[in-house]
Amino acid sequence: MRLLLALAALVLSGSAAVAQHQHGKPGSTPEAFTAAPAFAPDGTLWLARPIGDRIAVLRSTDLGKTFTAPVMVTPEPMNLDWGPDARARIAVDSKGSLVVTFGIFQDKNFNGRALFARSSDGGATFTRPRPITADTTSQRFEIAGIDPDGRAFATWLDKRNVAKARVAGKPYAGAALAYAWEDDGAAFGKTDIALDNTCECCRLGLAFAGPGRPVIAFRNIFPGSVRDHAVITFKNASTPGPLSRVSVDDWKIEACPHHGPGLAVAPDGSQHVAWFTDGNVRKGLFYARAASADVAFGPPRALSSPDRQPARPYLLAEGRAVHLVWKEFDGTKALVRWQVSNDSGVTWSQARTVADTDDASDHPLLVGHAGRAYLSWLTRSQGYRLIPLEDQP
Amino acid sequence: MRLSILFALLVAMASLARAEPASPLAFERGSWAKLRASHTGQATVIHFWGLTCGPCLVELPHWGKLRQQRPDLKLVLIAADPLPQDPDRVSATLEKAGLAGSESWSFTDRFYERLRYEIDPAWAGELPRTVMIDAKGAATVLPGVADLAQVRAWLDTQRNSSP
Repeated sequence: MRLLLALAALVLSGSAAVAQHQHGKPGSTPEAFTAAPAFAPDGTLWLARPIGDRIAVLRSTDLGKTFTAPVMVTPEPMNLDWGPDARARIAVDSKGSLVVTFGIFQDKNFNGRALFARSSDGGATFTRPRPITADTTSQRFEIAGIDPDGRAFATWLDKRNVAKARVAGKPYAGAALAYAWEDDGAAFGKTDIALDNTCECCRLGLAFAGPGRPVIAFRNIFPGSVRDHAVITFKNASTPGPLSRVSVDDWKIEACPHHGPGLAVAPDGSQHVAWFTDGNVRKGLFYARAASADVAFGPPRALSSPDRQPARPYLLAEGRAVHLVWKEFDGTKALVRWQVSNDSGVTWSQARTVADTDDASDHPLLVGHAGRAYLSWLTRSQGYRLIPLEDQP
Repeated sequence: MRLSILFALLVAMASLARAEPASPLAFERGSWAKLRASHTGQATVIHFWGLTCGPCLVELPHWGKLRQQRPDLKLVLIAADPLPQDPDRVSATLEKAGLAGSESWSFTDRFYERLRYEIDPAWAGELPRTVMIDAKGAATVLPGVADLAQVRAWLDTQRNSSP
């Protein structure tokens, strides 16, 4: 019991120094500092968090004020992916079943393995973590979501085609966007590749345009090693639609930006993307919308100024509103800035600071329940916070 | 808890006893100002790289060669990974690239927005990145993999303009 309490205290205080001694010496392995939220249909808030070298799930029934003791999803210590754009995640289906996804490193070259675990008893126990896909080459930046029919869908960046190209002596830039649907409530089925040559090191944005119709936002590699953003909307569960370029930023870079997009799809079918670029055409953080999956994205709108390090944008459609947050730095503190649109992203409120911190922090995330949106933010100084966003319709 | 502290101490002592390349200096809040001050009046090339940056690891040995060819190159290396890395791996990587003995720093503060802001508010953290600072303090930024011909030409200019 005392150990559990100590663990809970560490989780809630935001410290991640546990279990370092298991690696032999402090600082020898960087640790992930993330917390990913999801609401269950009954308003329970679930969090997936690494604690040292394990993944834990915590539950709150009072909107994040208090949490239950962590339940470990990974029985043994694992070499967790600590990349700055990677995170353990949790999704909840309409019956309250949980699916946790996370990545581990297989080696020192950042080859990863995407794993998942399920709970069908309200988070009391989890299945042993299993790979999302059978191929062992490398998977990273996995994300799972539940479609409007209640079926779990997972997508990730996959390097199997890099390995094939290497064997054939052909060049292959980046990675492939892979996906799989849950087939029987217990495992993910066959893996398909939606698209080759995406950027290999940035998080993905996932939303749904309808049952069986995932929408994925990602950093793509366009000809000339230009790493700009694109969206794919599935026509049906097994047919990824054409690539829709969000913006021509012309960011030519032979490296990993570690900086993926935010995506929301509103009930009217409009698509909303926010992203970071350091391109020749524009630099900084931007937002653009498309009125539907079938039309082009409109002109990018700048969020903040590039000398405030605007970063880590996140979008959420909840009720009739679209919410947008990002992180920026004012010289002393990291701030979370928030804008809301009540007309499907055509006009937006003035940006407002809704939280700040004076030390390291996770990406700001948004989570919604019953028409209300919340900022979910893990910081070193203040621990985990769930902050309701005001002025909602 | 106390046991684990004791354990950590023992491990730290054990690692001190081993012969290893010199650890990088801890780059933390205020380090940039100190670094700049210690090179005042001296033409200096500051190269930002990272263990988590593939192109950086490819580029590093070229810097090793350049340093060998150009004794007039005052090179400072800063490992600027978004998450603090194992100092031993930083040192070992530099040694392998022929850069042992160069002034070397490594980001140790996880609040890395702040470290970057002190260096250049508009730098979003992309690596590699090279900043050449002349004796008068004027900086030239080379984003991405540096064109070493440009660095050589800059060094020539510094030599010619030095008193």
